[in-house]
Amino acid sequence: MPEGLKINKGAQEAVRELLCSLLESGRVNGVLALGRTRGANGGVAYSLFTDSDAFVADGAALPFLPFMPANAGGLLSRLTLKGSLAGPVAAVVKPCELRAFIELVKRSQGSLDNLLLISSTCGGVYPLDVGANGGLEERLPRYWEAVKQGEVDSDVRPVCRACVHFVPENADITVALVGEEDLDTQCTLFLDTEKGAAFVKGLEGLQGTSLSGELETEPIQRSHSQRAAYREELFAGVEVGMQELIRTFGRCIGCHACKTVCPICYCSLCYFDSQDCEYLPEIYESELERKGGLRLPPNTVFFQLGRLAHVSVSCVGCGMCTDVCPADIPVSTIFSKVGTSVQALFDYQPGKDVTEEIPLMTFEEEELAQVAT
Amino acid sequence: MEEQEFTPKIVGFLCNWCAYTAADTAGVSRLQMPPSVMVVRVMCSGRVDPLFVLSAFLRGGDGVLVAGCWPGQCHYQKGNFHARRRAAMLKSIFETLGLEMGDRFRLSWVSASEAPRFAEVAKGFTEEVKQLGPSPIWDEVFL
Amino acid sequence: MNDKGAILPAENGVEAAVVGWLKEALNKKVFDALLMPVQVPAGDSFAYLLLQNPALLENGSPLPPVMPVQGARAISRLTMRGNGSKRIAAVVRPCEARAAIELTKLEQAHLDNLWLITVDCPGVLPLSDYLDDPAAGAARFVEASQHWDRAPMRPVCQICHRFSMPASDLHVGTLGSADGAVFVIPGSPKGERVLESMDMPVDAALDDWAAQVKEMEEAQTERRQQAHADLRAGIAGPDGLLDVFSDCINCHNCQRVCPVCYCRQCYFESAALKLPPENYLTRSKRKGALRFPPDTLLFHIGRASHMILSCVSCGACEDACPMSIPVAQVFSLLADRAQETFGYVAGKSLDDPLPLVAYEMDEFHQVEQPYVEIYHKREVQDA
Repeated sequence: MPEGLKINKGAQEAVRELLCSLLESGRVNGVLALGRTRGANGGVAYSLFTDSDAFVADGAALPFLPFMPANAGGLLSRLTLKGSLAGPVAAVVKPCELRAFIELVKRSQGSLDNLLLISSTCGGVYPLDVGANGGLEERLPRYWEAVKQGEVDSDVRPVCRACVHFVPENADITVALVGEEDLDTQCTLFLDTEKGAAFVKGLEGLQGTSLSGELETEPIQRSHSQRAAYREELFAGVEVGMQELIRTFGRCIGCHACKTVCPICYCSLCYFDSQDCEYLPEIYESELERKGGLRLPPNTVFFQLGRLAHVSVSCVGCGMCTDVCPADIPVSTIFSKVGTSVQALFDYQPGKDVTEEIPLMTFEEEELAQVAT
Repeated sequence: MEEQEFTPKIVGFLCNWCAYTAADTAGVSRLQMPPSVMVVRVMCSGRVDPLFVLSAFLRGGDGVLVAGCWPGQCHYQKGNFHARRRAAMLKSIFETLGLEMGDRFRLSWVSASEAPRFAEVAKGFTEEVKQLGPSPIWDEVFL
Repeated sequence: MNDKGAILPAENGVEAAVVGWLKEALNKKVFDALLMPVQVPAGDSFAYLLLQNPALLENGSPLPPVMPVQGARAISRLTMRGNGSKRIAAVVRPCEARAAIELTKLEQAHLDNLWLITVDCPGVLPLSDYLDDPAAGAARFVEASQHWDRAPMRPVCQICHRFSMPASDLHVGTLGSADGAVFVIPGSPKGERVLESMDMPVDAALDDWAAQVKEMEEAQTERRQQAHADLRAGIAGPDGLLDVFSDCINCHNCQRVCPVCYCRQCYFESAALKLPPENYLTRSKRKGALRFPPDTLLFHIGRASHMILSCVSCGACEDACPMSIPVAQVFSLLADRAQETFGYVAGKSLDDPLPLVAYEMDEFHQVEQPYVEIYHKREVQDA
């Protein structure tokens, strides 16, 4: 049973104060969390805070805002790609962002050293266009009502409603949100690791009572079943078959935004942007001769299937791809569905265990006998 | 017969040390084989990038064969173990998306001394692909 | 070359006329293949097809309601490594043709065996508006374009003043085609030869059409200037620009769909901007917080500094932005001003050299710092 802490303040306030104290006391050098940018739309972006004044000014920090302008796992990779952190930095991330970061660490694209990872049970996020249209503020009350009941607001992204990994596994500190009815007045957080506990113990200004408790409460289990059922439904709705794929990706404009925002797609030069895909005129002409017509730019379906081959084993279903697609293609639904199958094949859960090797980097001598015929 | 005999185009990625040698021996020994396998020699079945398989299909290949040494006998020790996992992953992707490519993709182990086995694999797989017919995306414009 | 054109009967509308004409050209082997927008199988968008099978023209459209892919990108992909043996006619909008010309100057496209065919353009709908209900979008587009009503179109289409006769090989003039006919106007010897081989005499006077184009150009120029003035007031100063880009999530869609941004690996995604954690923390300490990933404004202004002299104000960037940032509007303002500085119009002619490649010995003295006068003032005074 993980050690917990109960603070008699609303969860958002309690966590903001905790982060502020961590900064002020010098226990951490920085905090990565969602913050308000300037701008009439009340834009939101991840920020690296190093000054507690900046953290609290005008409600700058918004740790649990249900919005994902970028997958923070990719941001943590960006932060630690060229070297580990010399001193501690706290990061407030969602479970899928944390899982994505673990997958990136396995690929040597980041380092866990000196990171204090704070996560929470997650009620999902709203699609990007809700934020773009200034619709975030007005939805917050009903979002939090749903979270308290252990439910997911209907406007939240479909892939979030279908997410069964909303309880984080590799955090140092997990804040209980889903199913916590007294969120507005109480904050329960679990100190999952010794590191987490060490950062919090004796922190000035932190008043809380110790408790022993289970993160996986009954509302969480209920939410899990609900989401699992929706997941099945969502995946069943994906139209399968080659003609259907061609129809689905008919709208694809080959912008590759899905790849750019995907935390797992870290290649600085994607295969599909490389010289390999800059074909000689003779190639186009011979394809044209054979088929009578060919779509330009080429490789629409090839890009999607190729990207699936590259990332499906580590897809965490974060949903950034669908969010960013200018052609409204449900990329994340398709990628999560395939990801789930491929991961089941290897009995692998991305982001669960940083010491567990990526399935395509390892093998058993005796396995998968049915594959070769 | 009015029907034209359909000779499938099967792209065969054969590993240099085992499968390719077997195929070569089969040819030299005049073993009966259909002319359907278009051979691409790779040093190891582990060299076969999933993108090769996808590309072969999306450019109109009727079938894709990857053949290498038996597990445990790879010239580079581990290559074919990785090939097996990649093949499993590809099949999973094809199956989940309802793509016929899963049935048109085959991984086989053929050692250098198994020329008759290679001929069998080539014949058998060609028959299977013939049954499936030409690639449904042979002339697909919107790929 | 533009004072006379050939007549193309268009009793059943411009689309049918142009498609019919292209079909005839294909059948007569005037061209070996066409590159043009065709409706996709699900009917919910359009994609550029390189086609030589005339049957594929059934769902083809010279003026589709949307521009999911900027045509110059398709032309560049096709001809980046040279021209093949096939003679290809690309049916594109004026801004796509202009971008193709810029890309040719940038050696990212080759137009030797390619004919640019354009049509007077009423604009395109924003992609997200169209995708909500493609059938309704198509109808809305047809209705609006018939009256040259640009209200439903992309914001930069609304202020476009280069909607007619770019430096294409053949241009279909449709403005004022009241009597059921449109003009096909050659813009180059290549274009003239096409009309010759199709027995289309270039003998119709274009005065009426030219007058209508001029009138609309003037009206649009005024709209553009007003819109730019208003926009500039809104974004002037670092605050204004920061506000505009405050929602940016650094997805780089704008760069990816831009026809002029052709770099395989954008500088702003390269190792140059991948820095050790100390760098980010130090920068954060200076201000108390650092937006992450940083360098949002650097990306936009930097991208502008790279491509603004070839920007054709097509609006592909704004269409692709998931946060509805008015990127194209800002860039079209920057483009006009920057190109004006050099007396350059992107895509106007293949013969106009790129401003950053050409130079004169004696120019732009106003941006020079006179060394002697500043650092050796006394010498100058005493002299």
